[in-house]
Amino acid sequence: MVEKTNSKEESSGTLVMGIVAAIAGWGVPGLGHLLLRRWAKAAVYFLCVGALACAGLMMRGGVFMAGANDLFDRLGFFADLGTGVFYFLAHLIQTAGPDVAHASGDYGTRMFATAGMLNLLTVLEAYEIGRGRRT
Amino acid sequence: MNLVAAGLTHFQALTFFALVVSVTFAFLSKRELSERAKYIAWAFVAFLLVAVGIGWLMYPFSR
Repeated sequence: MVEKTNSKEESSGTLVMGIVAAIAGWGVPGLGHLLLRRWAKAAVYFLCVGALACAGLMMRGGVFMAGANDLFDRLGFFADLGTGVFYFLAHLIQTAGPDVAHASGDYGTRMFATAGMLNLLTVLEAYEIGRGRRT
Repeated sequence: MNLVAAGLTHFQALTFFALVVSVTFAFLSKRELSERAKYIAWAFVAFLLVAVGIGWLMYPFSR
């Protein structure tokens, strides 16, 4: 009985750690790994996702907003939202506004969405590490 | 930074994208440093070759 209780406590503890790491990693890319003491991964994920997101915005890529009627726009919104803090600071980084009429703006849109998808992958990894399923 | 503000060429944008995605995938999927280095090189070259290859395949239809 005591062993079962301890085991349950351990498992809920790692679940909490996984969820906290996932939420932190979504908010700021790499922060989830930082909390889990995966220093190298935290730095690499922050730099890669941040560089891709900032490059996309500086190339005047479009940022999808919530409440779009089109399915692809909604998917784009969820992809962009994956960048976490970069999504909410997009208007500060991209002062000139989007310009998707040119190729560089179109590339920027894809880069920003890709940054979001990459960060969602890192969030899943942070969750798995927090749960103890992955080292 | 100025390069991005001035606008990257298509190939520069492709190279940057390929490098960043390759590094992230390497850290997500490989554990050892040597494995990661090999994966980065392999994925980076594959990104470039596939993109240039698809570009050449589409070239006859662009005119």
